[in-house]
Amino acid sequence: MKGNGLGGSEAVRVWALRLFVMTRKELLQLGRDVPLLLFLIYSFSLSVYISGAGMMMQLNNAGLVVHDGDRSESSRELIHRFHEPYFRFDGEVHDPRMGLERLDRGTSMLLLDIPPRFHEAIMAREPVSVQLQVDTTNAPQGLSAASYAARVVGEFSFDLTSSRLIGASGGRMDVPIVESAHRVWYNPNQDETWLQSIAHLLRMITLFAFLLPAAALVREKEHGTVEQLLVAPVTPLQIMLSKVLAMTLVVLVSTMGAVAIILKPVFGVPVKGSFALFLILTALYSFTMAGLGLFAATVTRNQAQIGMVSLLVIAPMLLLSGITTPFEAMPSWVQSLMALSPLRYFVDVTYGILLKGVGVDVLWDSILAMVLLGGMLFGLGMWRFHRQFE
Amino acid sequence: MTSGASHGPDSPVVRVAGFRKRYKKHVAVDGIDLTVNKGEIYGLIGPDGAGKSSLMKAVAGVLTYDEGVVEVFGITVDSEQAAERIKSRIGFLPQGLGLNLYPELSVEENIDFFADLHAVPRDMLDRRKAGLLALTKLDRFRDRPMKHLSGGMKQKLGLICTLIHEPELAVLDEPTTGVDPVSRRDFWSILSELVQEKGMTALVSTAYMDEAERFHHLSFLSNGKVLASGAPAKVRAAVPGFVATFEVASQREAITRLKQSFRQVDSFGPSVRVFIDGDDQVEARRRVAAAVGDLACSVISVSEPELEDVFASLLLQRAGRREPPGPVQAGAAAYDCGEAAIEAEALTRDFGSFRAVDHVTFQVKQGEIFGLLGANGAGKTTVIKMLTGILPPTAGTGLVAGADMQTAARSIKERIGYMSQAFSLYLDLTVEENIRLFAGIYGLDRRATTERLRWIVAMAGLSGYESSVTGRLPMGVRQRLALGCALVHGPRVLFLDEPTAGVDPLGRRRFWDLLAMLAREQGVAILITTHYMSEAEHCDRLALMHAGRIVAEGSPADLQRQVRREAGSLFEVVVDQPGRALTRLQGAGFLVTALYGTKLHFFCRDRDQDKACARRVLEESGVNVLSVNERPLSLEDVFVYRIMELERVERPFGQTVGA
Repeated sequence: MKGNGLGGSEAVRVWALRLFVMTRKELLQLGRDVPLLLFLIYSFSLSVYISGAGMMMQLNNAGLVVHDGDRSESSRELIHRFHEPYFRFDGEVHDPRMGLERLDRGTSMLLLDIPPRFHEAIMAREPVSVQLQVDTTNAPQGLSAASYAARVVGEFSFDLTSSRLIGASGGRMDVPIVESAHRVWYNPNQDETWLQSIAHLLRMITLFAFLLPAAALVREKEHGTVEQLLVAPVTPLQIMLSKVLAMTLVVLVSTMGAVAIILKPVFGVPVKGSFALFLILTALYSFTMAGLGLFAATVTRNQAQIGMVSLLVIAPMLLLSGITTPFEAMPSWVQSLMALSPLRYFVDVTYGILLKGVGVDVLWDSILAMVLLGGMLFGLGMWRFHRQFE
Repeated sequence: MTSGASHGPDSPVVRVAGFRKRYKKHVAVDGIDLTVNKGEIYGLIGPDGAGKSSLMKAVAGVLTYDEGVVEVFGITVDSEQAAERIKSRIGFLPQGLGLNLYPELSVEENIDFFADLHAVPRDMLDRRKAGLLALTKLDRFRDRPMKHLSGGMKQKLGLICTLIHEPELAVLDEPTTGVDPVSRRDFWSILSELVQEKGMTALVSTAYMDEAERFHHLSFLSNGKVLASGAPAKVRAAVPGFVATFEVASQREAITRLKQSFRQVDSFGPSVRVFIDGDDQVEARRRVAAAVGDLACSVISVSEPELEDVFASLLLQRAGRREPPGPVQAGAAAYDCGEAAIEAEALTRDFGSFRAVDHVTFQVKQGEIFGLLGANGAGKTTVIKMLTGILPPTAGTGLVAGADMQTAARSIKERIGYMSQAFSLYLDLTVEENIRLFAGIYGLDRRATTERLRWIVAMAGLSGYESSVTGRLPMGVRQRLALGCALVHGPRVLFLDEPTAGVDPLGRRRFWDLLAMLAREQGVAILITTHYMSEAEHCDRLALMHAGRIVAEGSPADLQRQVRREAGSLFEVVVDQPGRALTRLQGAGFLVTALYGTKLHFFCRDRDQDKACARRVLEESGVNVLSVNERPLSLEDVFVYRIMELERVERPFGQTVGA
């Protein structure tokens, strides 16, 4: 198709040369943009570290106030069982209403109310209850606190029962007991920093794979340089592909850096699967996101607009693609909508390779989905690019 | 005005002393002094980046400055409070066509908004609005949204909005840039009328050298400094000299010889133009003849220099003796002069219901410089976009470098060079990186790239700049780099879309020098658009575009001859009551093309008889005629005449509908 007099191999050489000089140009330009470079480096290093170290979703340091109406041996025993790191003892109140007021102000999270005659009831072998009031403004944290507290109370009750039984039967416990012996896979220490740091790396890959090529194209429109390219013998495919290639390379190098400098040495994230496969699929994902970014760039006129569009497109993707929240728990319509989000598949790929150590045999469906979406988005971008100048 | 007490009626409206403005490390204005007196139109002339806008913004009280004194109406503008005190008495029109207006609002709503900002009472507003709308001929478009106005109309509306509160001082930043010559003349007429009737003062900036005559007082700015200041005649007298124009068989050879003794030598289409220092006309003629030597040439005509020559001369003095290296002589490529490089046949392009280009037909031969002239929105850029294959035409055909633009857009792209309106290279890459990028895009291999790189650097005078980042280069250098990049693959056809906008006169001349070399020696066909009418003289042939159509075509001399034949010679009359003189002359059937200050331009078919008639008409009605002189017909006069003729033909239809 681009014959016009050139020999076949010559045509290929020229085509490749054009793509090469255009890609090199993108890298040169990025290299000159010092603020953007600094932002890029920060995003893939310090910001990953901060998220890994700082974002805690597990129950930690929940403030507890107690209204102890009994002030007995048993009540003290129960209170002592609410210990660190999960709970923080915030002191006692003399009136449960004062405790509620603390919950209102948000200075404490739980109010444990122990009734009078608590100890007496236990000694008399009568059933007795304690009241627990929990602030669930932050629902997952609140639920988590409530269930931890319930477990503490349950264990207290179980220990009372078993010591009573053992005492009665002369050293043997003569009741059936089912114990749950669970085994934690993939993250044996349940170290939350792994999840958070990987999740943040995913966010950064998504953002830059979308924004870098989009901004590069929209800047050419803003400065009028795209016109110069259009009258030169470069095809729209070369213009767009060169941006994708350059920016994918940048994202790959940054990702490698983040894994080598932060994830592995600082948080001890194991790379169980093939790191090469992870990089190849990261490149595939970058290509997919770049397609989306270029499409967005063709419908916007300047860098401010592309910033706004990225908020609109990227934010729901980041929130709803199951990076930190279980995808299966979302309403079914969100799930079907997010089937269009490439990130949803890349999440499976990333956790699968890095933590579970699985390979293509397990991930093939996610990979296929990314290939299809990427091809579609890139094609859409190309089509819009052609259209906008007519 | 309490502290205005010391501000007597004769004290200056604006006084600026030692004004300095820095943007980070870049010094935009470097010590300027000027005084604007009441009732004056004071002009600031200079290329982009000379410091005009910074100075005007400071006078309008919207920009802080680093050093110096800015006094407006005797109030020192050095704080927010001081600026507030003068704001009600000044009107500021920022740079950019209609940028201060609201595109969705109608003409009338825009005016009302600005009036309300200044709390103009209703009855006064209605009276002024009626007057200004009539003066600007915008009254028929009261309800039209501003975004649907033409560039010239937008700028007139901008002027109304700036002046609706009848400020004592109008600060107008490049009000005529990109506006068609007819609207530009209207603009100046309106301004001078307001200045005379209301006793207003105006501080106006412009990038058009040929507008300098319209000012009472002017300052030439370059690189943040004043090069010359005074009344136009006084500035001209500061650099005594003559301009010699003649035609010669081998133009390049003549220019090479002349350059050894003269600093300002230009090719104007087929002729050569030389600026000669000194005040002896006979001596000037003799020196040129001596320099040309044995080359056969036509009679050397000697005339007064234009202000642009004076400015160029001043710039050269400042630059010192360091003459930039001239274009390199490349081996003359064999080419057939008669071969058509561009053929446009009834090209038409519609955008929705709007016809941007209407049956445009022209031809450009190899080795020819063809100019497409017209205002913003006349359709020039659309024509170029169609011929370069960016935009498909609605109808018509075009042949470029032997390839049909509809079927072989791709081969066209490989054979042409293109340089767009805005500088369209990568500002964050260096000169060499830009050249290498385009070499790669055009498929040059490593050896060819190195060779062309060397050629471009030499040709465009870029040596020493190779590794500078493009964004830090002066405009003139950037333009030459853009030209170099457009030539990297040695194209046979070159498209240039307003390549010299914003470049200083010296840079522009140097650029035209290069174009002439390319056309004459390499046989490159050049299609160029410009709205600098004075530049059009460089072209071999011209087409004037108006509202999407070509309204006149031919060599510059042809075009002038045609108008002279149809309308006669151009005369300038200086009078004491220009407003009255205008109505009298038009009433007597004279075609008046321009009015500014106290001067009117009009056409006379019969030199002596009509001239006497005009004088009689004016004197009978009590107008005092100070002088009547013939003026050389410029291309701008040609353009204005053509468009006025068109409007005269078209108007009857419009009016029957209205009536």
